[in-house]
Amino acid sequence: MRSSMVELLESIVLRGAEARAADWFRRNLGEELASSSTRFRAAFAGAGRRLGDQEPSIGPDDLARLRHAGLVTPERWRLAMFARAALLVRALGALPADEHPNFVRELYRRGDFREQSAILQSLILLPRPERFVTLAVEACRTNVGDVFEAIACENIYPATHFADLNFNQLVIKAFFVGIAVGRIAGLKERKTAELRRMAADYASERRAAGRSVPGDIDLVLS
Amino acid sequence: MQMFDPHVHMTSRTTDDYRAMAAAGIAAIVEPSFWLGQPRTHVGTFEDYFLSLVGWERFRARQFGIRHFCTIGLNPKEANNVDVAPGVMELLPIYLEKDGVVAVGEIGFDDQTPAETKLFEQQMQLALDFELPVLIHTPHRDKKAGTVRTIALVKASGIDPEMILIDHNTEETLPLTLDSGCWAGHSIYPDTKMDETRMVALVKQYGTRRIIINSAADWGVSDPLKVPKTVEAMRAAGIPEADIETIVWSNPVSFFGQSGRLDLGKQPIDQTALWEGNSVLRGGQKPLVEPA
Repeated sequence: MRSSMVELLESIVLRGAEARAADWFRRNLGEELASSSTRFRAAFAGAGRRLGDQEPSIGPDDLARLRHAGLVTPERWRLAMFARAALLVRALGALPADEHPNFVRELYRRGDFREQSAILQSLILLPRPERFVTLAVEACRTNVGDVFEAIACENIYPATHFADLNFNQLVIKAFFVGIAVGRIAGLKERKTAELRRMAADYASERRAAGRSVPGDIDLVLS
Repeated sequence: MQMFDPHVHMTSRTTDDYRAMAAAGIAAIVEPSFWLGQPRTHVGTFEDYFLSLVGWERFRARQFGIRHFCTIGLNPKEANNVDVAPGVMELLPIYLEKDGVVAVGEIGFDDQTPAETKLFEQQMQLALDFELPVLIHTPHRDKKAGTVRTIALVKASGIDPEMILIDHNTEETLPLTLDSGCWAGHSIYPDTKMDETRMVALVKQYGTRRIIINSAADWGVSDPLKVPKTVEAMRAAGIPEADIETIVWSNPVSFFGQSGRLDLGKQPIDQTALWEGNSVLRGGQKPLVEPA
C-alpha cells in the first residue's frame, strides 16, 4: 500500500514535468540517495526550482486515493510538493526506521520556508506519522506565515496526532495571526471545553482592548 | 524629559533608531535576551548572542549616548527545544554574573507546556541564587490563564514580588499583576499588545505605582519611539509631569536598580572609541565626541 503511494506520487511528477526536469527527478529517485544526506538535501531543495509551481493533472481516481491517504486538498498541491513528498517517502524507505525522526527533523531544520512547508504537508504520508509530532508541534512556534499555514491549514496531521494542549494552541494562534479557523482540518472533532474557554477568553481580551473579535470565533465557541 | 525604555531588542534595530531614541530623550535601555524570529539550532549561537548583549550592543548604544543594560535567560519559546535548552541552561550562570546584566529574563510561558514550566522554575531559582530581579514575559495566546499561572509560580518560588516584573500586561491582566505585588510592564506596540490611548486610560485608572511601559521593539513591525510617544499621549491627557516621570524613569530605575548593577553615571559620547577594533562609523563619517 505504502509503496504504491510513492509510485503514485512519482508518476504524478513524471507525467507533469517537462522532459529535462523529469530526467533530473528520475535520476534523484535512487534509493542510495538517502544514505548520503547531503545529496538528498540538495535534491530535496532542488525540487523547488526544477519542478516549481506547475499544476499537475491528476485524474479523479488518483485524487480520491490521495485524499484517502490523508491529504486534505491534493488538488492544490503543485509539482514540487509532490516531488518532495515522493523523495521523502523514498528516502525513509531506504533508512532504518529508528533513524526516521532525526532524518526528517534535520531536513526540516535546514530547509527553507517552502521545503519546511512541503515536509509539514507530507507528514501524514510518512510511515508511522505519529513519530513526527514533536517536529510538527515545534513548527507551530514559527513566526513565518507560510510555514504556520502549512501545518495548521488543510492538514489533517494536527487533528490526528496533536495532544489537546498543542492543538488548542494551534487554534488560538490561527485567530492571532488572522487565519480562518475553518481551514483547520478536523477542528470540529477536536473541540473541547478547554478550547472553548480559551477562545472565549481571547474574545474577552479583544473586547477589553477595544478590538474586533474574529468573525469565525463561533466555529470554536459553538 | 529623561526616559528609560526597559524592554527593547536593539540587536534588531538600526543606528537611525539609536539616534532617534536619543534625540527623543531615551537615556537608558534594557535589552532582554529573547528569540530571534527563527529557532536557533546550536547552543553556540545562544552564546554568541549573549556575548553581543554584554559586548557589542552595549558599545553600540553608548556611541549614541544611551546606557545599555540587558537581561539574560532562556526564552519560553525555545525552552521547548530539547536540542539547545539544556546547553543554554548551563551557560546562564556564566552570563548572569556579568556587569550590566540587570535581571534574569525574559522567561515565562509561551505555549504553557510542561517543558516551559520546568525551565521557568529553574530560572526563578537562578534569580534567587544570583540575587537578580526577574523579567517575565506573558504569553500572547491564552494570556489571562497564562498570567494566573505565572503569578502562582512566582508565589511558589519564594521570590519577593518586588523583584518581579510581569510584562506585556493588558486591561484584563493588569489588576491580577498589581494584586500580586509584582511590577507591571506594558508593551506599547503597533496593532497588538498595548497602545498609547489604552495606556493613558490604564494610568488614569490605576495610577503610577509599580507601572512600567516599554516599546518591546524588535525585528517585527514595532516602534522604538513608543515610550516618548506614550509620554506625549499622557501629557496631552493631562497626566502630571511628575507621574509621567515616575512611569518612564523612576519606576524602571527602582526595579532594575535592585540588581545593584544599574550604573547610570553620565558617559559622554565618544565615537572615536573602538570595540574589539570595530567602530559604528564607516569610512569618511565624522565621529561625535562630547566633552567629558
